[in-house]
Order: sequence, then C-alpha cells, then structure tokens
Amino acid sequence: VTADPGQTPTETADARNAIDLTAASEVAAADVPPEILAQSLGQYLRGWGLRVRSGNSGVLPVVLAIVVVAVVFEIVTPEHAFLRPSNLVYIFGLSTVYMVLAMAETVVLLLGEIDLSVGAVALFGGVIAFKLVQVPGPAWPWWAAILTSLVACGVVGALQGTLVARLRIPSFIVSLAGFLLFSGILVLVLGGADGFVDVSASVPNQSVIYYMVQGLISPVAGWVTLAVVVGAVGTKLWLRAAARRRQGLVAAPAGLTAIRIALVAVIGVAVVLICGVNRGTSLVTVEGVPWVIPIVLVVLGAWTLLLQRTRFGRYVYAIGGNPEAARRAGVSLAAIRTWAFALCSATAGLGGILLGSFFFGQYSTNTADPGQLVLYSVAAAVIGGTSLFGGRGKAIHGVLGGLLIGGIAYGVSLLELGNLATPLEYILPGGVLLVAVGVDVVSRRGATTGSVAHV
Amino acid sequence: MTLDPGGTPTGTVDARTAVDLTAAPEVAAAEVPPEILAESLGDFLRAWWLRLRSGNSGVLPVVLAIVVVAVGFQIANGKFLSPQNLVNLFEQSTVYMVLAMAEIFALLLGEIDLSVGLVMGFGSVVVGELVQPTGPGWPWWAAIIVTLLSCATIGLIQGTLVARLKMPSFIVTLGGLLILEGGAILVLGGGLVGIGNSRFTNEVVLYDIFWGRFDPVVGWVLLAVLMGAAGTLLWFRDARRRREGLAAPPPSLTAVKVVLMAVAGIVVVAICNVNRAHSGTIEGVPYIIPIVLVVLGASTVLLQRTRFGRYVFAIGGNPESARRAGVSLPAVRTWGFVLSALTSGIAGVLFASWQVSLTTNIIKTANSYVLLAVAAAVIGGTSLFGGRGRTIHGVLGGLVIGGIYNGLYLLGVSSQWIDVVVAGVLLAAATIDVLSRRGAPSRT
Repeated sequence: VTADPGQTPTETADARNAIDLTAASEVAAADVPPEILAQSLGQYLRGWGLRVRSGNSGVLPVVLAIVVVAVVFEIVTPEHAFLRPSNLVYIFGLSTVYMVLAMAETVVLLLGEIDLSVGAVALFGGVIAFKLVQVPGPAWPWWAAILTSLVACGVVGALQGTLVARLRIPSFIVSLAGFLLFSGILVLVLGGADGFVDVSASVPNQSVIYYMVQGLISPVAGWVTLAVVVGAVGTKLWLRAAARRRQGLVAAPAGLTAIRIALVAVIGVAVVLICGVNRGTSLVTVEGVPWVIPIVLVVLGAWTLLLQRTRFGRYVYAIGGNPEAARRAGVSLAAIRTWAFALCSATAGLGGILLGSFFFGQYSTNTADPGQLVLYSVAAAVIGGTSLFGGRGKAIHGVLGGLLIGGIAYGVSLLELGNLATPLEYILPGGVLLVAVGVDVVSRRGATTGSVAHV
Repeated sequence: MTLDPGGTPTGTVDARTAVDLTAAPEVAAAEVPPEILAESLGDFLRAWWLRLRSGNSGVLPVVLAIVVVAVGFQIANGKFLSPQNLVNLFEQSTVYMVLAMAEIFALLLGEIDLSVGLVMGFGSVVVGELVQPTGPGWPWWAAIIVTLLSCATIGLIQGTLVARLKMPSFIVTLGGLLILEGGAILVLGGGLVGIGNSRFTNEVVLYDIFWGRFDPVVGWVLLAVLMGAAGTLLWFRDARRRREGLAAPPPSLTAVKVVLMAVAGIVVVAICNVNRAHSGTIEGVPYIIPIVLVVLGASTVLLQRTRFGRYVFAIGGNPESARRAGVSLPAVRTWGFVLSALTSGIAGVLFASWQVSLTTNIIKTANSYVLLAVAAAVIGGTSLFGGRGRTIHGVLGGLVIGGIYNGLYLLGVSSQWIDVVVAGVLLAAATIDVLSRRGAPSRT
C-alpha cells in the first residue's frame, strides 16, 4: 500500500490484453452478450450456447431448478397438490419477501460486500410502517407511513454503508452488529417480547397496507392491465431495437425482439390465467391477480433500470469487478458504496412491509426470524445467479431465486413429514445455499473475466 | 491469476525492507516482543511502553475495559462486585469465553466461523440426548467424547469446503449453521432434553461440570500445587534460557510474573470461598474455572509453542508468503476449522450443563451466541483480519461481554437493550481494530 507499484498493473493488463487478442475467437465471443454480436436469430442462439458453456449461464440454472422443484414436488406431494392455482398464488405471496430482500441484497453483493442486517432492517421497517398507521396512535396516511419507513431504513443503511465505505470495517461485521442492533430495537419498538402490532382490513387507511399482498385485482381488470402492460412493453422494446438498427448501432436481431415480446406475453397470460381460477371454497369466490405481483414487478423494473441503465449502476458493476480499476477511473468508491447500502436497506424496508401484509397484517416477535430471513435472501440472490464475489448479477436473479426458495419451503410444508418437517425447513435452504455458492465458486474459476482484485 | 508477475513482488519487498532499515530504531524495537530485547525490568517497561504507543497494545485495552465495566457498574449498583455476583458473572461468561476461543482459531487465519454458536447448540443436544436413560443411556464420558468427535467432524467438512474449494468461510459457515439448526432440532425430536434428574449418575456428572464446585480447603490446596508447579516451571525455563545465552526476560520480570499469578489465584479462590447462598451453604471454586484454564492453556500452547501455531499466524499474516515458504494452506486451514468446531463442542458440553434442559428455543439462543463470540474475540484484541491475536483475548473479551450482560441485568435493563449495547461494543472494537491496523507499521 505504501509503495505504489505504478508500473506493474499496466504491464500485467497489457499482457492480458495480448492473450485475449490471440485467443480463439469463440472464447472472446463468449465474454460479450450474444445480442450485441449476433446478426440473426441463429447466430444469437449459437452465441448464447457458447456463453452458457463458458460458465456465463445467466438465469438458465435457476429456471431449470424451478422446473425441477415444481415437477418433483408435484409428483411427491399428497394428491399432487403442489401445482394447484391456489398453491401457486400462495407460493408467490410467501416468496415475495425473499424476492424483495434478495433484490436488496443484490446491489450489495454486486459491490463484493454483504449485508447481513437486511432481515432485521426489513422487520424494523415493517414495524415502523405498521406503528405509524395505528388508530388510536399516530394515524398517519398509509403513503406517509410507508415513505417514512423506507426513509428510516435508508438512513440505517447509509449509516452502515458509511462505516463500511469510509472506515473500511468489513461489511459482514458492520452488518452483523446492525443485525444485533435492529433485532433488539425491533422488539423495543414492538413493545416487548410479547408485543404485537396489526393493521385491519376494515379501517380504510390501514386496509391499503393489509391488502398489499393479499388484495386482488378482479379478473377483468387483470386482463386489461396485462394487455396494456404487454402492449406498452412490446412497443417500447420493438421501437428501441428498431431505432438502434436504423441508426446502425449494435442491436438484437428482429427475430429475437419478437421472441422476447412473445415470451413476456405468454408468461403474463399464464400468470393471469392461473390467478383467474377461483381458489376459494364453494361459499367464497377468491380469484384475480394479487396486488403483490405488480408490486414485485415495479421493484424489479426499478432495480433493473437503476443497475442496467444509469451511471450509478455502471459504477456498481465497475467497483464489483475491480475496485482499484474503478477508483483509478475516477469513481468515488465511498459514495457509491454508501448509496448502495442505503438503497439496499430501503428496499429491505419495503420487503418488511410486504411480509407483515402477507401475515394477514400482523407483526409480532414470531412473525419472522431476522436471522433466517437474511440467510434466505442471500441464498435466493446467489441461487438466482448473483456472484458473492461482486460484479456479476441482476435484480431478476433475486426474483427467480426467491421463487425457488419459497417453492422449496412451501413444498416441504405440504409433505406430511411429522418430526422431519421443522428440521428440513433449515437443512434444505442451507444445503441449497452451499450448492449455489459451490457452483458460483467453480464457475468463477473457469471464467475468463471478472474480478482479479479479490484473489 | 494466470500471469504470475514473479519479478514485481520481490522489487516491492526490497524497497520496503530498505525503508525499515533506515527507520528510527524505536520503531524497529516496537515490532519485537519487549521481553526478548529487555535486559532489565526498566528496559522491559520502556520497551513495553514503546510497543503500546505504536499500536501493539495487546491485552491492555481489554483490561482497561474490564476495569471500566467493573467500576461503572459498581457505582451504579453496589452489588456488582460482591463475591456472589462475581462468581455468577464468571458463570455467565464461561460459554462466551470458550466460544470466543473457538472463534479465534478461525479469526487468526483471516477467516470467520459463523457456525460456532450452533455447533455449540448441536453439541449440547447430542451430549444431553446420549446420556438419557430412556434413550441411548451412554456413560457420560462416552457421550462427551462422541459429542466432541462429531463437532470436530462438522469442522472438518466446513474447513474442507473453505480450504479446498475456496468457498468464502462466512458463507460456508452460514449454510452450515442452517443445516446444524435443522440437525439439532432433529436430534431433539420436537421435545425437550434434560439432564437435571439426580437419580441418574450420568446426568449428575454432566450437571456438575458446570454447577459443581471444589470444597474450599481443596481449592486452596489445588491453588498451592498449581502455583508451585507453574512458578517453578516458569522460573526454571527462564533461568535455563539465560544460562544458555538465549533471549530471555530479566529475572525480576519472571519474579513479577510469578507473584502476579499467585496474587490473582489467591484473590479468585478467596472470592469463590465466600458463602454465596441466601440460606444454607454454597461456597468453593466452581469446576468451570479450571476447565476454562485448561482450554486456555491447551490452545495457548498449541498456538504459541507448536509448528502448527506458527503456521496459523503465518497464514493469517500473509497467506501467499506462507504458501511460498512451503506451508500447506489447505491442511492448516482445515485444521483451524476443526479446532474451532472442537472447542465449540466443549462449549456445547458446558452449555448443556449450564442450561440443564434444552429446547428448540434454547437452540435459537445458542445461534445468537456467535455474535457475542466474535465480539468477545475482537474486544479482547484479536484482529478480524488474521494473524494477530491470542486465546487469552477470548477469555478477557468474554469477561467484558459477561460483565456488560450481568451489570445491565442487575440494573433491570431489558435484554433487547443489552443486545443494542453489545452491538455498539462490537462496532467500537471493530473500528479500533481497523484504525490500529491502519496505524501499524508492519503488514500490508
């Protein structure tokens, strides 16, 4: 650190470039997203195959894992109940908190750091929002309560981020202390170990929070919304690709754009169809898309935009890939790191509100274990394909990983296992986490790009 | 990774060595333990002071912290320093101390073991289950041996994943603790395991490990024998070193050490021999004090006096140079995790004996102890970045944590606030570690 070997990195970098240039063109192609190089759909598929084989498999493994889990549980559960529409909707609700927390964790993982406090901060944020809409009590409007909770969590994250970014205390220690701190504060805010706070569906202001996860969009409104969303997204995708092609920029082939739009439409139709089935009893009709699906999509869209299309996002990937190179390129490491922790905690706060809503609007010390929440969220992000070593990952990985974790958790609870059920709730995610990290470590070893700084 | 820039590091090292040679001799002296250089007691004190100012403060900050905690709580509540409460405080701290010593094996390597709390919880359930007369009904010694072996095996698996597959240790042990939590609940079988039944000898022995105590007279005799042996050993070793012309502390320093040890021993036995029962008689040195001393002694000898210990410090200081010097990184790392889990298993036996009956909720509590173990180690003076620390730090740090818990509890503070305070203490200790490391002249 004291003696700055200014010469050396340049030499090393030069040497590596030289190797890359002389390498087989297939290897070089595998490092670039195939949609940039491909001129036709066939070329794209070939490029994609190369990329998968070279270790950059993206979301493929997690999608395969979801399919495997769905098929296996459908076969082994009593009465083959796993894939019933009512169960699928329930699994999505259960997975919501893991999805949102995993998206929160993703930005910190991308930096090569970790935030072990997301679980505790999420519960803290949820309890704050729930406390603020109490009558008698503060009786704030729901939007002010949610906003305050997110800001409070953001401040918490910024404080932790400052300790990590400015003092360079290892993030797992700072967030371990944050975990302890907010697990304690959480119980204090709740009002003791047997305290609880709930929101009611019958109070108009509170019902918004109550229905965030459970509330339903009527089937007709669901179809209309789907049509509007698919139309808007499709037009946007198509026009953007067309504009790029017209201006001679690298762009995906037209066939690929069409397939993407069709895929979005098919998934959307499937989701609305499944949610449109009446999953109530003969007396009560329960049908329609739950509110939580658009909420998760909005969070996913926001994080994807922030990470893929803004300067902040590019800096995050740059720091995760190689902090020293990013610093020399003029990126303010401390500022980006602090912001990432702040945004992570704010997103976690939203996850906490959704968690309370999922538990029928009630928060008690039994609602969720903050330690288990954080393990599941890290596991979800890593299983989804985000690297623990920084610089590789997307928000969508968190959503897919969260769905997998939620599916496993619910599938196990459907099996009649007796005494084995509770232990398996711990053992399975632990095993899945280890397998995912093992795959991450091994695939990273084979990859040509990625960070050298951590080695 | 592919390109090994063999030429460059040598150049850098040369430049750094050159700087060290031209540095002021005071700075150079501060890097060597003062007892090696000192010729007299005065020399030693001067060298020690230099070392202190350069950031290598050793156990001084944690001793100061213990004094501050003791004085602060004594002022706030007059009962804090009463003999009853001091023994009580040591009992509360025991598990933190042993667990912190377990964590130090990982920390010294520059790794972390987040599973120590649940290895302890798992071990406690296994040892409790094995002696159940309605279940396996094993003798207590067989149960303890099997518990320690199974904990060591857990460490072996985790260590192998870290050392051979190069998976980050905090993730391996995070996944490990999840699996162990499931394992512990599985062994519990949804019920409760108790060792409080006085009709079964094996349960009584397990119970007595934590709650048993020596007769006051036996306590004094043991102290005399122990002090005599340790004093003689220390004195003769230093005398031999001096005779053979090796670097050795001055005789006055050896004498001061022996006297300090004897005084500390006498104070402890005297405090423990006060009757601490409200009615009836509870007096004598609890068994856990020698147990902690044995664990401390064994781990200290292992780390300070064996080749394995030197390798641990070498890897923690700089893994690459250790590798180039021919140290097998995977083997030493794996053993570090085995020792960490084994020591956690010892904590597990103590934990089972302490809690008397074990439930699923107590296993969850055991999990939260990992934070206290890391906090105790770091507060004691062990670095989070590897290569700096001793197991005595775990004992002293555990005493600080136990003191804070005990003192706040006496003041009627709720357990949530205590967690908040401990988190603050952990952050403060980590900050001091980072800042002192930044100021230290050695190591990059």
